[in-house]
Amino acid sequence: MDDTSLKEDIGTEEFWVNMGPQHPSTHGVLRLELKLSGETVVDGIVHIGYLHRSMEKIAENRTYTQFIPFTDRLDYLASMNNNLAYVLAVEKLMGIEVSDRAKYIRVIMAELGRIASHLFGITTFVQDLGAFATPLFYGMREREKIVELFDDVCGQRLTYNYMRVGGVSRDLPNGADGKIKGIIKYLRPKFDDLEALFNSNPIFTARTRGVGVLTASKAVNYGVTGPNLRASGVKWDLRKDEPYLCYDKFTFDIPVGNNGDAWDRYKVRMDEMRQSLRIAEQAVLGLPEGDPTVKAGRIFRPEPGETYMRSENPRGELGFYIVSDGSPIPFRMKIRSPSFSNIAVLPDLIRGLKIADAVCVLGSLDVVMGEIDR
Amino acid sequence: MIKYFTCIISGIWNLAKGLFVTLKNVFVKPVTLQYPTQKLEMTQRYRGLVDLYPEKCIKCGQCVKICPTACLDLSVKAGEGADKKKEFGHFKYNMELCCFCGLCEQVCPTQAIYMNKIYEIAVYEHGKLHIDLLDKDKYDEWANPDVK
Ligand code: SF4
Ligand code: SF4
Repeated sequence: MDDTSLKEDIGTEEFWVNMGPQHPSTHGVLRLELKLSGETVVDGIVHIGYLHRSMEKIAENRTYTQFIPFTDRLDYLASMNNNLAYVLAVEKLMGIEVSDRAKYIRVIMAELGRIASHLFGITTFVQDLGAFATPLFYGMREREKIVELFDDVCGQRLTYNYMRVGGVSRDLPNGADGKIKGIIKYLRPKFDDLEALFNSNPIFTARTRGVGVLTASKAVNYGVTGPNLRASGVKWDLRKDEPYLCYDKFTFDIPVGNNGDAWDRYKVRMDEMRQSLRIAEQAVLGLPEGDPTVKAGRIFRPEPGETYMRSENPRGELGFYIVSDGSPIPFRMKIRSPSFSNIAVLPDLIRGLKIADAVCVLGSLDVVMGEIDR
Repeated sequence: MIKYFTCIISGIWNLAKGLFVTLKNVFVKPVTLQYPTQKLEMTQRYRGLVDLYPEKCIKCGQCVKICPTACLDLSVKAGEGADKKKEFGHFKYNMELCCFCGLCEQVCPTQAIYMNKIYEIAVYEHGKLHIDLLDKDKYDEWANPDVK
């Protein structure tokens, strides 16, 4: 009897296991069907759709302004950025110019939203790896500062509904720019603290380095975008490569990784938060005067035609494809959500890993089910 | 063997670094509140439940038109006075559907409809979510949860 047949004789049987939809590490309601051989993942199938709310169909029954609150519920950890992507698309369709102050306010809000989202993404990722509560609570505490500012500005803590086609719903309240500067000053050292907790922690590095390597070519082929793509070494950021708003006026770097492993994805997010602070700081210092608000009640009737506009969300490129037939409601709207493409690579990445590492890879991709299922 | 010991030493060093970060936080003031006894004050622009000043409302229906979830219901009838001034039939608010977007508040030309600061909005009865905006003390029970 040779070795291989012996192995087959005493080898364990492969079996299918459901991970989710109510699993704490799936960040929402993702169902992963894993084919396991012992502890090793042989194959994985991603099942989505548990959060489906027919967002695209709803858009066909709402006016352009009425749909803005619904975009809050796509990627609910970065509602500001979703609002922004949507109004940019409608503005492009209508050919509306936005006032300078509105542009600057939008940039500040989008960058602070990015930080809030990354803080959540990183700290929940670390919690998935077993760092129970401490980093998550620190992250939540820092995020709270930003959320409080948003609450001051627009009156809600999660679903902001702040951007409007042509501007923003309300101007910054009195003293908000001082508050924003305070937040920037407060956050800088806090990022160093967070990095001190993770960067050289032997358990964290051992769990993430070399785990779930996503090569640049595979990332591009799957349409992966955002920090996950940049972690694989592809320097592609819409804020630099296809500048919208006034991003071309600010100096900032695009952090990229080398290996595309879970560690790089964490590190790119960490560095990106610092760059976002830089952008927000420049924007708040150069904040022009003027009136950024627009009337909520205006009905938009775009010329028949179609447009596609994408912008850089914390999780990647969020795009809106809108077809107008000249009526006040869109004829068709397609939402290109970044997490949808990002999660598509998951089965490829977890093949051959241990089941605990599969959790690590999923956490490092930082997907939000709200925008996958729409 | 050497690697084994360097691993242990670096592990201890990093543990110390991490503990230093947590130690720094031991002495800062807590950021949380003792909720039922201490309560957070809502911000000035906070979007709570939809409320109405009936005397300010000009019955234009813009709020009803813009509401993305169709949760406002206004009916208007001609008044009986000589000037035939419009009067309320009813003005209902279905809180079940409201997504607290604040569009009704922003579109109202006379600031008649506004959003109050109530945030403890859980109720035991389904029917309580269907609110009559013309009722003066509709939110008394919500604003003071201890009043039975
Ligand atoms: S807050 Fe929004 S959903 Fe609620 S009643 Fe006003 S417009 Fe309708
Ligand atoms: S928009 Fe204001 S004035 Fe017009 S019906 Fe609504 S509450 Fe009344």
